[in-house]
Amino acid sequence: MVAQGIPEETGYILFLFAATILLVVVVRMVISPRDPRPTPEKRAPFESGQISAGPGRTRFIIQYYPYILMFVVYDVIAMFLFAWALNLRALGATGTVPVLIFMVVALPPLAYALHLANQRENW
Amino acid sequence: MGNPIIDLLTSTYFLEIAVFPGLLSIAILGALLGWLERKLTARVQLRVGPLYASPAGGILQMFADIIKLLFKELTIPDGADRFFFIMSPVTALIIGAALLGLIPFAPGIQIANIEVGLPVFLAIVTLSPTIVLLAGWSANSKFPFIGGLRALFQQTAYEIPLWLSTLGVVIVTGSLSLTGIIDYQRNNGWLIIPQLLGAFLFIVTSTAEMERLPFDLPEAESEIMMGWQAEYPGPLFMLVQGPAFVKLYAFSALFTTIYLGGYLGPVPIPPIVWFFLKTILIIALIMLFRSTFPRVRLDQLLRQGWTTLLTLSIANIIIAYFLVVGIPAI
Repeated sequence: MVAQGIPEETGYILFLFAATILLVVVVRMVISPRDPRPTPEKRAPFESGQISAGPGRTRFIIQYYPYILMFVVYDVIAMFLFAWALNLRALGATGTVPVLIFMVVALPPLAYALHLANQRENW
Repeated sequence: MGNPIIDLLTSTYFLEIAVFPGLLSIAILGALLGWLERKLTARVQLRVGPLYASPAGGILQMFADIIKLLFKELTIPDGADRFFFIMSPVTALIIGAALLGLIPFAPGIQIANIEVGLPVFLAIVTLSPTIVLLAGWSANSKFPFIGGLRALFQQTAYEIPLWLSTLGVVIVTGSLSLTGIIDYQRNNGWLIIPQLLGAFLFIVTSTAEMERLPFDLPEAESEIMMGWQAEYPGPLFMLVQGPAFVKLYAFSALFTTIYLGGYLGPVPIPPIVWFFLKTILIIALIMLFRSTFPRVRLDQLLRQGWTTLLTLSIANIIIAYFLVVGIPAI
């Protein structure tokens, strides 16, 4: 049914994509009412009833940036554990030694990074 | 044999995608879950909740709301990136619906039975905060932008504990496939008993992943006015609200599959009924969190996520390890 080499799930996801976009387009075309001349106030971004001022894309919340850096590193490291976990029965206790070394190497830097990230005076 | 279009429309694969467990059932169940949440929250707060939309306690209320939202005008704010503004909710809904293709609802009723079902589920879910950030950025408005950034930061707090809490299941069962995990539970009993800590961590982190109270920081309606959803008009707002319920359904289904034995249960009741009984129980539990706990602050969530949740999930891995290898005699 599906071409060789392409997993069947691709068809499922493409179907979902097309169906949802079609829904939006049909709604937009057929039943959604249209305002031919919207006033500037109507199209202004929402700001709790105030007149919106300044750019919408304002400054970042930078104080949590260390957590993002830690995430980028340790999310990848956590994935390696899945390969070990899947084969644990075959490896047995002896196969755990490299993973143990891996964790011992990986966790103290995490603790230190966490210590730095939690210091509010550095924000 | 005959017309290829009719063959396609009546094939099992197409019916699974379009009717059950695919699109149609997802849409209907999503709307019913919306009703369940409103009714449950109302009962907790000693209110009546939806009442008039049908004889059976307003059960059609969300369908009425969907029709109402479809007839609203599509207004896109000035300066918004129109392409990403419209595509973000569409993509979010697809991500939610794609998750349900991986769940085995009953023996044989599963759209995609792949060998690595569990990591694929979590990997698809990982995309959704990026979509939220894109939606918040594209709206060119302050509240959506703050909400999108909060989603990004929140992800760093729960993502690693979420993966590591399911690692315990992988260690105990030795399988990444959801069918394989159910087969293990058929012989050895439900995994929630040896993996109680893992199940607790999974339900906490998946509540954060679903952006539900007490972790609904990106949409916090009482502080940043629905956050990243603030600028969405009628029909698009429906598409934005949909993924929340679809993800709730998908995560409860995953919890049922990996911890509560999925469709397994005593014989006289069919497997699919067992599956939905367990799933609705978990859904109701997560909905009751909403009425029970106050919202956490972002820095509290980040700190607890990186300390308490991470430590507990490593402890859970150690428990699972000793369950498999056995406690060494020293």
